[in-house]
Amino acid sequence: MSPMELLPEPLPEPYYLPVGDEIQVFEAAFCARLPVLMKGPTGCGKTRFVEHMAWRLQRSGKLTADPALLTISCHEDLTATDLVGRYLLKGDETVWQDGPLTRSVRSGAICYLDEVVEARKDTTVLIHSLSDHRRLLPIDKTGELVTAHPDFLLVMSYNPGYQSVLKDLKPSTRQRFVSIEFDYPAFALEAEIIAHESAIDHEMAERLATIAERVRNLRDHGFEEGVSTRLLIYTGQLIGQGISPRRAGELAITTAISDDRTVQDAVRDIIDVLLP
Amino acid sequence: MIELADVEGSLALFAEGLAGRYLHLKTLAEQNTDSIDARLTNQSMDNLYLPGCLPHGERSDYLVLVLEQIGYRECGTFGFDYARFCELTGVSQPTPKPHTQPDRDSDFTRLFNRFEDPAIARRLFLLLEALRISHHIQRTYPGAAHYLRQHHAKLRAQFSAHRTRFDLLQHRVWGDLQALPSLEDSLIPLSISHGSVYTTAEMTCQLYPFFHHEHDLLLEELNAEVSGTEWMQREARLEDWKDDQEDLARQMLNVEILQAEDALLREDVGLAGDTRDTNQTLNSLKSERDALSRRIEMERAALRHAVGSPRGQARSFRYDEWNYLERRYIRRWCRLYEERIVPEAGADVDDLRRVIRQWRAKVRSRLAQLRPLGLQRVSRVADGDELDLNAVLEARQDIRAGISPDDRTYSRRERVQRDICAAFLVDLSASTDDPIEPPEPMPFEDDDEVPNLRDPYHEPPEPASVEEPRKIIHVQREAMLVMASALDALGDSFGIYGFSGYGHDCVEFFVAKEPDESLSGRTLSAIAAMQPKRSTRMGPAIRHTVAKLMAAGQSLKLLIVLSDGFPQDCDYGPRRGEHEYGVEDTAKALAEATAKGIETFCITVDRSGHDYLKRMCPDARYLVIEDIEDLPDALTKVYTTLTLR
Repeated sequence: MSPMELLPEPLPEPYYLPVGDEIQVFEAAFCARLPVLMKGPTGCGKTRFVEHMAWRLQRSGKLTADPALLTISCHEDLTATDLVGRYLLKGDETVWQDGPLTRSVRSGAICYLDEVVEARKDTTVLIHSLSDHRRLLPIDKTGELVTAHPDFLLVMSYNPGYQSVLKDLKPSTRQRFVSIEFDYPAFALEAEIIAHESAIDHEMAERLATIAERVRNLRDHGFEEGVSTRLLIYTGQLIGQGISPRRAGELAITTAISDDRTVQDAVRDIIDVLLP
Repeated sequence: MIELADVEGSLALFAEGLAGRYLHLKTLAEQNTDSIDARLTNQSMDNLYLPGCLPHGERSDYLVLVLEQIGYRECGTFGFDYARFCELTGVSQPTPKPHTQPDRDSDFTRLFNRFEDPAIARRLFLLLEALRISHHIQRTYPGAAHYLRQHHAKLRAQFSAHRTRFDLLQHRVWGDLQALPSLEDSLIPLSISHGSVYTTAEMTCQLYPFFHHEHDLLLEELNAEVSGTEWMQREARLEDWKDDQEDLARQMLNVEILQAEDALLREDVGLAGDTRDTNQTLNSLKSERDALSRRIEMERAALRHAVGSPRGQARSFRYDEWNYLERRYIRRWCRLYEERIVPEAGADVDDLRRVIRQWRAKVRSRLAQLRPLGLQRVSRVADGDELDLNAVLEARQDIRAGISPDDRTYSRRERVQRDICAAFLVDLSASTDDPIEPPEPMPFEDDDEVPNLRDPYHEPPEPASVEEPRKIIHVQREAMLVMASALDALGDSFGIYGFSGYGHDCVEFFVAKEPDESLSGRTLSAIAAMQPKRSTRMGPAIRHTVAKLMAAGQSLKLLIVLSDGFPQDCDYGPRRGEHEYGVEDTAKALAEATAKGIETFCITVDRSGHDYLKRMCPDARYLVIEDIEDLPDALTKVYTTLTLR
């Protein structure tokens, strides 16, 4: 086997169209090893952005871990143990199994905690010691204090739109991060993203972006957020698979954003008059 | 056949989505103006007017009507500027006639006044503009094109008479390409679909000679003095004037800064001050600003008179009303405007906090018994004050079986959100402005003591200091403040609303606090800013609060109404002064709330309230307070009782 064949196949670039200076900001934060907090509505491209940045940093040689990114989707049952690791039974013995956070701390990968405010409060203990100058991960059960790999970076995301009522990040947590705000892209950019991701023609992509623009005017009526770019891409993909545009809009937009019949009727009408 | 009431909710959202701002959807019957041209635009800045019923219509016809009206806004019809038109077309602005007030005329009126017969020009312009809007709709909303064609076909069938040339043009607007004689038709340029309002104005000038002899036939219809479109243009122009006013203020500030800098400089170099030039500039700017302010105020007054008070910040809803005489609901009879109470800027909340402090201990001790409900034991957690035996057993079984156990084997008590939402609805009728204690009658004064004002040695007595009497509204506000503070400490979600209004088409609903908002200084100020207003149409206010409670989604929902008398309004019943109709409608609204699982309760300070409250409130859920100062205490008692049921 020649040495060339041993090299891993390069991963394809995750498509991401920058809407501002977020790429430069993230690169700067990575170089200074400052943890990053991304705020923005659902489906606006936060996760895709982190994937893109991990790929970009890996390609430039600044990030050597493989995999370069470990994503953890937080939920209300997620505890510190789930992140750090636990003892598992193997036959007659117990063996320690690192959790995803510990793995990325040791290997120097980007650890991405998606929708972090959903996680239980005991996780903040871990986040605090990792996100300030100490860069330490205490593991109670093994009595270990792991120093983070020089390349390790903690990235978190949350959605202030619907999570702020009951749950919110404490200032002591929030102020350990460089915050990048995300929102749905402007009309032309959104149309370009839809056209690229769903492989539909530009005119139809513009129509979908117009629908999004108009439906987002109704954010306060029964649905916390407007139609996301992700839903528009789904619509485009359904259209690309031969589903009629109106039906695709019904499936991916109307029924997805609200259960309220009145809102659904209004959104259906907006889609109806805007599509050819 | 379709009624607006059937589709109103979704149609309002449809309009808001497309227009990007909230617009009140109203029936044509609610329109202030009788102008013939208003039929063509059917809107004002805040309102879209639609037929209450379309006998041959369907939902898509309403969509078209909304699109047509939004089209005027999107196409910049109301941004028409007569000076710009003159500049574009190279025509000169005529000298205003001596008896006219060009500033008070809309720019459209100034355009139409160019013609020998302005009414003809106005009619022609509006029809051509409708044609342009129609093209715009087909281009921007391709999905609506076939709805538009269907709608126009119905109109053509409905109004088939061709009495005048205007009828022919109207049919041309409705899509009949053969309607107009070829000569006139050829004058309508293809560019109209991409043209601006100035294209329409120019076309009006070109086509006017073909139409000017139509006047006699249309005299009756064209009597309208000023059209809806013109009022809309004046509303749009008002915004420009406000921008100009801000510009002037900025310029004045710049001049003042310049003056101050100049004075400092002169002081430094020891020169005598000469700021005559800048003073002159400042004075001229001031007079310009004052003239503009006066003009804006006059224009506002004229607009208020013509198209009603602006309700830009309010949202409106329509509710049924129970007509007990006919034993049926009058569908969508009441229009309720919901708006937030905006406290005065810089309002002092120290007095409010003092009231809260005064009552805090008493109210909290009463509400303390509700507190334990706020804690709940959560099982299967990693840390806690007790072992969760089920989880421990499962873990042991897993270990025995050689499977990694779940280490969440504890349980603990956690504070959870109480699943309660309360709404307090406060009557803000004019009568709440009455003093709690009637004023003492003036003591009889002996004639001898009447002062002789001609007496040069007479000294008038010092006026006694008059303290504002304590009023019902004061106690209502204080009760709300106390409750708000106590419930916030308890962690319950609650809303505080006020209501008043005048007439079935203007029920006012004021929001001081919504259930999902936290209690802040702003909320306290909003409660303190609750003021006595007008009448007491209780039914729609209760129905609206019920809708809010249902939307909040908590399992226990409370509605507590605070009032100072029976429900009454100018048209709340067949005869003014008869209260039975209002009592029956309110009783029905409360029964509807109970049927939806809402606990209702009425508290009144009207000592004669027993007779009507007995009939109005289900299961005698009411309380008449003898001494109004007991209101905060009574409210706490009622709240505790209802939530512990």
